[in-house]
Amino acid sequence: MEGTGIFERYREMGELIASQGQHFIIALFILVVGLIVIKQVSKLLRILLERFALKPQTVSTVSTIISIILLVIVLATALEQLGMNILVIRRVLFLVSLAVIGIIAIFRPLIPTLPFKVGNTVKVGDLLGKIEATTILNTRMRTFDGRTVFIPNSKIINDFVINYHFTKTRRIKVDVGIGYDQDILKAKQILETVMIEDPRVLLKPARPTVYVLNLANGCVQLGGRCWVDNVKYWTTRCELIEKTKLRFNHEGITIAFPQLDVHHYHGDASPKFPGEEDHIREIEVK
Amino acid sequence: MKVSEALKVIDDGWVRKPEGFRVHFQKQEDSEWVTEYSPGEKQKALDSDVAAWRLAWKLAEARKSDTPENDDGTLVNIYVVDDLGTPIKYYASNQFEVFNRRDI
Repeated sequence: MEGTGIFERYREMGELIASQGQHFIIALFILVVGLIVIKQVSKLLRILLERFALKPQTVSTVSTIISIILLVIVLATALEQLGMNILVIRRVLFLVSLAVIGIIAIFRPLIPTLPFKVGNTVKVGDLLGKIEATTILNTRMRTFDGRTVFIPNSKIINDFVINYHFTKTRRIKVDVGIGYDQDILKAKQILETVMIEDPRVLLKPARPTVYVLNLANGCVQLGGRCWVDNVKYWTTRCELIEKTKLRFNHEGITIAFPQLDVHHYHGDASPKFPGEEDHIREIEVK
Repeated sequence: MKVSEALKVIDDGWVRKPEGFRVHFQKQEDSEWVTEYSPGEKQKALDSDVAAWRLAWKLAEARKSDTPENDDGTLVNIYVVDDLGTPIKYYASNQFEVFNRRDI
């Protein structure tokens, strides 16, 4: 009896393959060819859109949307070949789309997202560079010394990220220490002039300013602060430091350097400091 | 006078902020001395005097002639000017410098 049941099943399967096999193969063929075509179209589309100098994020979004639309068309065609009612397929796809949009709309605030987009310049941990691509698992960054780094998204979500895209300007610090015997006001004036006369230094969000930061052990610390465009930050900073050093030299302001006075006493002679000798003599007389 | 008005006076009269820099030089063409700039006057000026002076120095080193005769391609009287065409001081010496100086 059991053998007859298995035989019946095989027979039914054979009849199914005989009747539907051709449709199944055609559906499979449509699916495979469709996926290959979608991949190629997506590649061509990216190249085409990049020629229009669109933002990398826009190119990626448009390309993804068109790929999804094409995938839906291919799936619908393949399912139709399998004998499914086209009306049913459309309804199912419509309902699935609505459900996906609804889920995204409701849960979007709860979904952890990366704090940058493709093309942004960011600092993650010790890595500074431009974001080239993001996937579900990792982010591809190109550092400014030419390295390509794949950073796990889990690390990015749990780490401090500085995104330089959100602010167009950035503040430069030019800290310099001068000797205690130097003219502080003159040094402040020179540092401020060096910053003001540079075309890249902005007057907003704040004008260039010089502060006396600290009366340190070996120097008076001056701090110059000015704002520049983000993209010009590095070269401007380096050149302001260079010009400050040279202008101080020409104006006779001596930049302090770390130094330590060491007093060495020979033999058993006890150290004497200014004003101490008279006090010692008084003790000896008594 | 409001503070904003005072700041305007300071901006206009204390330290001038040039809008850009160009390298001025002269070269001989058909026995005539012609004055040119790099970047050209129709091109965007450099925003860094340090970069402009480096460009001027490299031009001077690349095209200087030790002979009294002027070869074709010799560049003389090389210095940096601001957006108004006024020579600016060399930031390294705080003096008005001219590379490959030649009286023409």
